[in-house]
Amino acid sequence: MSTGAKKRIMKEYAECAADTPAGMKIIFDEQNMTKWEVLLDGPDQSIYAGGHFKLEITFPNEYPFKPPVVSFKTKIYHPNVSNDDKGSMCLGLLRPDEWKPPNKVVSVLRLIQTLLIEPDIDDSIEPSIANEYKENRKEFDKNAKDWVKRYAK
Amino acid sequence: MSTPSPIPPPNDRRSSRASSNAGPPSSNLNVPSEPSDLLVVGGPPSSPSPLALRASNSPSSKRRKSRAAKVPPDVHMLEYVSACDSNLVCLICHSPFDRPVKLPCEHYFCRECVDHAWDAQQEDLRSCPTCRTKVDPQKDLSPVPRIIETMLDELVVKCPNTKTGCDWVDQRVNVHDHVMLYCEYTLVECPSTDCRLPISQKDFHKGCLHSTVSCEHCHASLMKKDLEVGSVMSICPNRSTNCPHCFIELLRLDLKPHVKDVCPMVSIPCSGAIVGCKVTAERIEVEEHEKTCPMATMAPFFREQQARVERSEARLDPLSRKIGILEDGLTNITSMLYPANGNDSSFPVTNPLDPNSSEAFPPASLMPTPDFRLPPASFPPVPQSSDTTQAQPPFDSQVHHLLTLHESLRDEVSRVSNALTELEGRTSMTIMNENQRVKEDMLHTNAAINGMRMQLHWLMSATLQQRSASAAGSSTARAGSSTGPSASGSGTQGASSRASATFRAPIRRLSDSTRQDVKL
Ligand SMILES: [Zn+2]
Ligand SMILES: [Zn+2]
Ligand SMILES: [Zn+2]
Ligand SMILES: [Zn+2]
Ligand SMILES: [Zn+2]
Ligand SMILES: [Zn+2]
Ligand SMILES: [Zn+2]
Repeated sequence: MSTGAKKRIMKEYAECAADTPAGMKIIFDEQNMTKWEVLLDGPDQSIYAGGHFKLEITFPNEYPFKPPVVSFKTKIYHPNVSNDDKGSMCLGLLRPDEWKPPNKVVSVLRLIQTLLIEPDIDDSIEPSIANEYKENRKEFDKNAKDWVKRYAK
Repeated sequence: MSTPSPIPPPNDRRSSRASSNAGPPSSNLNVPSEPSDLLVVGGPPSSPSPLALRASNSPSSKRRKSRAAKVPPDVHMLEYVSACDSNLVCLICHSPFDRPVKLPCEHYFCRECVDHAWDAQQEDLRSCPTCRTKVDPQKDLSPVPRIIETMLDELVVKCPNTKTGCDWVDQRVNVHDHVMLYCEYTLVECPSTDCRLPISQKDFHKGCLHSTVSCEHCHASLMKKDLEVGSVMSICPNRSTNCPHCFIELLRLDLKPHVKDVCPMVSIPCSGAIVGCKVTAERIEVEEHEKTCPMATMAPFFREQQARVERSEARLDPLSRKIGILEDGLTNITSMLYPANGNDSSFPVTNPLDPNSSEAFPPASLMPTPDFRLPPASFPPVPQSSDTTQAQPPFDSQVHHLLTLHESLRDEVSRVSNALTELEGRTSMTIMNENQRVKEDMLHTNAAINGMRMQLHWLMSATLQQRSASAAGSSTARAGSSTGPSASGSGTQGASSRASATFRAPIRRLSDSTRQDVKL
C-alpha cells in the first residue's frame, strides 16, 4: 500500500473520529490501519434496535481506487448481508464498478445505517430473506428480532 | 505517452518554477558548486508513472552515480501548519493539491492521483473519478487557474525533517529548495566510498560516522554518528547531567539518590509531619527548621512509642481470644455442675480482683458472684520522665487477671475430681450391699429347690412302688397307697387320689406340691 493511501486512511480516520455517526464506535489500530473495527448499535427506529453489531472495514491495497470491503462479524438477519461466516455487504457505492475515489468511509458508514433502517430489496444478496421481507413482513420482523436476541446482545 | 501535453510532466515537481526558469526540469535543483551528475532529481520527461518516478528517485537506484543525492520532498507527505480551505483539497488523496490538473468536467485532481486512478482503468475507458465523464488523458487535461496555483504555493508547511530536528516553517513553494539546498537535516549518502548509509547533511563533512564504537563509560556499543549528535548523552548512565533542582553536575546514575537524600533544593516535608508539623520546604530550609521545631524533636520518640503500642496491640489480640475460650469453657463447666441455679451465687470462683480469696476455699453458698469483666485500668503511678512505660500497666493487670482466672479454674477442676471419687466410692458401696442381698436370696431359693427335689424324688419312688404293687395284686396296692398320704401330710388329697383313677394321682400331686413350694 502506498504512503499516499495510508495518509488518506489516516485522514479519513481523523475525520470519522471527529464526527462519528451516532451509535457507532470505530476501533483503529495504527499498526494495522487497513482494518477498522466498527461497533454499531442497531438504529432506534429499526427492528435491530437494542442489538450491538461488530463490523469490519478492510481497505484494499488500491484504496481509494477500489472500494473498502464491509463485513458483519455479528450475524444479522438482513436481505443485504450475506448469511454466511463472512457477513459481507456489497451494494450501492460498495460495488467496485460504482465506487469512486472521492467517496469516503463516512458515507459507507451512513449507508450501512440507512440499510439497517430500510433494506434495499432490489439489490439483495439473500433472495429468500428479501422475499420474506416483501411477502411476509411479520415473519421477517420476528426472525430479525430473534437473531438480534440470539447474536447481537 | 510521450506526446506533449498542455500541462507539465509529472517529474517536474515545481511546475510554476520550472516554467518561470524556462530551463530543463532538473536545472534548478543542482547545487551550483557541484558537478551536475551529483544531484539528478526526477526521471526523463517521458517517465510514465509517478510511482516509477519515485522509485527511481530513491537512493538505491542512484547510488552509483551520485553520492550526495537527496530525496526531494513528497508534497503529499508534508505537514501543514493550519487547516487548509476544503476547496484546495484533492478528493482522492485528501491533501492540498500537488501539481493539480483540470478535467474537462471542471473537476480538479493532483496529477499523480488522477494518474493512479486511471492506472486502475482500461486505457480507452478513462473517466473523471468524481463524475465519470469520459476523459482522454492525452488531450483533455488542462492547467488549473493561476490563482489556485498561487493559493497552493502560499500554504504554510513544516520541513519534512521536523522529526530529526529542523524547525523550518515556510510557504510550500519554498519547501523544495529548503530540503534540497539548505536543510541541514536532509539525509544524504555517507561520503565514504564503501559506506552507503544515510547521514544528515550537517554531519556530511565529518566523514563516515557509521563505525560502531563502544561507550567509554558504560561500554554499550553505539554508532559513532549517535555519539556525535549527542543522543548518547541522554542515555548513558555514566554521562554527567545536571540535577533539575540544584543544577549541580553529577553522573546520571547518581541523580536518583541525590534527589532522594541529598539535594538541598528539592522540597521535602518536616520530619515532625507525623506529629502534625505542616512545614514543607526545600531541604536546606527544612533542616534549619527542624533544629527549632519541637515536633521534629518529638518525632523519633513518637515513632518508637507508636511501634511499641502496635506491638502490644498485636500481642493483646490472641490473649483476648484465649480469654474468650476460657470463659466459654468455664460457663459450660458451671452449668454442668450446677444445672439448677446456673452460675449465679453458688459458683465457687474467687474474685479475680482479690488475690487473697483464691487461697482459702469458702463454702459454695458463700462464694461471691464471679466477675469476668476486665478490671478498671488502675495503673501504678508512672514517673513523668519515662514516657515509654505507659503502655505496660494495663497489659500487666490483664495478665494478672488471667492468671487468677486460671488458678480458680484449676481449683474447680480438682474439686470436681474429688467429688467424682467420692461418688464412685459411694456407688461401689451400694453395689456391694445389693450384691450381698441378692446372694442371700439365691441361697434361700437354692435350699427350697433342693427340698422340692427331695420331695419329688420320694414321691416318684413311691409312685413306682405303688404301680408295681398294683401290677402284683390289689391287696398290696392298697397297702402301698395307705403309706402315701401319711408322708405327704395332707389327708384330703390322699383321699381324693384314692377315689380317682390310680394312674392320674402322681401327676396332680406333682403340680400341687410345686405350687406350694413356690408360695413358701
Ligand atoms: Zn491528490
Ligand atoms: Zn468530473
Ligand atoms: Zn529543514
Ligand atoms: Zn558511513
Ligand atoms: Zn555510556
Ligand atoms: Zn540537586
Ligand atoms: Zn517542623
